[in-house]
Amino acid sequence: MNIVVCIKWTPDTSEADLTLESGGKDIKKDDLDFDVNDWDRFAIEEAVQIKEKMGGSVSVITVAPDDAEEMLRESLARGADQAFHLWDDAFEGSDGYAVASILAKFIRDRPYDLILTGTLADDDGGGQVGGMLAAMLNIPSSTLVSKIQIQGTTINFNRELEGGLGEAIEMDLPALVSVATGLNEPRFVSIRAVRKVSSVEIPMLDLGEIGIDESKVGYDGSRIQIEKVYLPPEGEGAEIIKGNPEEAAARLAEILREKGGIG
Amino acid sequence: MKNVFVLAEQRNQQLRDITWEAIAAGRKLAGELGAELSCILLSGRVEDMAQKLALECPKVLAVEDPRLDTFNSEAIIRALVPILQDKGPFVLVMGNSNSIIDLAPGLSIALEAALATDCFGLEVHDGKLMAIRQMYSYKVNALVSFKDAQRVVVTLRGGSFSFTPSKQQAGIIEKIPSPLGEDSQRKRFLNYVEAEKGDVDIASADIIVSVGRGIGDEPDMEVFQSLAETMGGVLACSRPIVDKNLLPKYHQVGTSGVEVKPKVYLALGISGAFQHLGGIKGSPLLAAINKDARAPIFRVAQYGIVGDLNELVPILEEKIKAIKKS
Repeated sequence: MNIVVCIKWTPDTSEADLTLESGGKDIKKDDLDFDVNDWDRFAIEEAVQIKEKMGGSVSVITVAPDDAEEMLRESLARGADQAFHLWDDAFEGSDGYAVASILAKFIRDRPYDLILTGTLADDDGGGQVGGMLAAMLNIPSSTLVSKIQIQGTTINFNRELEGGLGEAIEMDLPALVSVATGLNEPRFVSIRAVRKVSSVEIPMLDLGEIGIDESKVGYDGSRIQIEKVYLPPEGEGAEIIKGNPEEAAARLAEILREKGGIG
Repeated sequence: MKNVFVLAEQRNQQLRDITWEAIAAGRKLAGELGAELSCILLSGRVEDMAQKLALECPKVLAVEDPRLDTFNSEAIIRALVPILQDKGPFVLVMGNSNSIIDLAPGLSIALEAALATDCFGLEVHDGKLMAIRQMYSYKVNALVSFKDAQRVVVTLRGGSFSFTPSKQQAGIIEKIPSPLGEDSQRKRFLNYVEAEKGDVDIASADIIVSVGRGIGDEPDMEVFQSLAETMGGVLACSRPIVDKNLLPKYHQVGTSGVEVKPKVYLALGISGAFQHLGGIKGSPLLAAINKDARAPIFRVAQYGIVGDLNELVPILEEKIKAIKKS
C-alpha cells in the first residue's frame, strides 16, 4: 500500500492578535508560529498506522516555503518514509485550485494507492484541495472521514453528517480521503526520533523540477483572488465584565442567577 | 452572469433546511445580477419536493433517479455536469453542509468553475460577483473575487441568509431524464450510522456549561463537571475536547455534533468557531470566559470575562454555591 499524505504549513492564529499587511490582502505573519495544520496531523498518523498494519510506504508532500521543512522532518520521525518539499517563489499566492494543480502534477506519475489529507485547513478553511486533487487525478474522494478500513481493492469508512449521524461509504482504490480530526490519536514524537531523521535528505523541488507551467501556479493559476481582508466590525458584542477575578466571578454568578442559569 | 442556480439538498427525499437559505441567497443574487433563478432537484422521487420548491423559485429542474437519494457526491456530480454544461455563464449556489463539502471541490473541477466555500456574504460590485468568507480562526473577513470566471460555484455558511417565503405563484417544473448512465460507481453508500447515545442528553438541557480547546492540554475535567452540577446543568464541549478523548462524542455541540437549545450557555475556553455556534439554537443567554479578548465567541456572547479559567472557574462555583445558600 503506497500512501501519499498532503499536508499544509499553517500559522497558529487561535490565540494571536492579528494585524493586517499594508496592502490589506493578508494578515502579517512574521510574528506568528507556524506548524502542520491540525487536521493534517491526523492524516499523517492514519497513514502510518495503515502502513504498520499492511506494509507499504508513506510519502509526505507539502507545497510551502522553506521553513516547512521542520514539519516534513517531524513527519519522518512520526513514521513516514519519504518527504517531498514543493516550493518555488512563483507558487506564492496560489489558491486551493493552484495548489491542487501543483500536487496533481507531482503525484500523477508516482505510485500511489491512497492519498490522505485533512478535510480543512486552519488558516483559510477552504476545504478545497483534497477534492480538487482527486478530481484532477480522476479518482474517487470523500471528506470528514473516520474509521478507515482497507479490504483488498476497496476502502471502507464512516463520514460525518449532522447531529452525530454518519454514513458508511465504500470506494474503489486508488482513492483520496480527507480525514476528520479525532479519528486517531497522533503519537508523541520524541526528540530522539526527530534526531534520528535529522540527516535524511528532503528534496525541495521547484517549478521546473515538478514540470508545471508558470501560468498554472500562483496568482495567475488561481481561480479566486482575495481582494481585501479586514477585521470584522466589532458590533455590539459581549459586555466584558471588569474587575479582579473575585469581582468578575461574583458579577457573572449574579447574571447567571438572573437569567435562570442556576437550577 | 445570465443564470443563478441553486442546488436543493435532500436526503432520502426530504428537503434539508439549508436549501431554503440557498434559495434566499440565490434570489438576492439573481435580483442584483438581473439573472434568472432556477433550482435543481436531484432525487429518487421529486414530485412533492419540486412543488414546494416551485412556490419559491420561478423554475425547478428535476431529475428522478434512485441513485441520487443519499446525495452520494459521485452520482450528484455526474448528474449535475450535463445539466449545467450548456447553460452559459452561471453562478451555482449550495449550502455548505457536510454533504456539499464532499462534492463542491470535485464539482468545480468537472465544471471548470471557480469555487469559494463557506461564504457568509455575496455581493455584486459593478456587475461582478464577490463573496465574503472568514479566515484565520474566524478572526478575519476576506472579500473574494472570481477573476473572469464564467462559471462560479459558491457554498454558503448555514445561518447567513434568512429565508422568507415569497408566496409567488408557482414556478414551472421541468423534468429532465436522468443523465446517469450505467457506469459503475467508484464510491458507494452502504448505510447510515446512528449517533451514539450516552448517559446525558445535552439536547434537552436548559443549562449548559461547555468547554473548548482553551481549557488546556491536560485539564482537570472534574472542575468543569462540578461547576455544571452546581449550576444544575450538564457539561458539553466543542470538537477538540472530543478529539482528545476528554469527553465522549455525545457531549459535542455543533453542526457535526448535537444541536442544543438551552436557556443558558456558559462557554469556557471556546473560541467560537462557526461549526460550534451552528449547534446552539434558540438564542440562549450566552456568557463566555476566554483568555483571548479577540476570540470570536465575544462577538456573539452577551457577557464575557477575559481571564484565566483555572483561576476563575473555582471562584465562580463558590459564588454560585453562595447564591444557592442565600
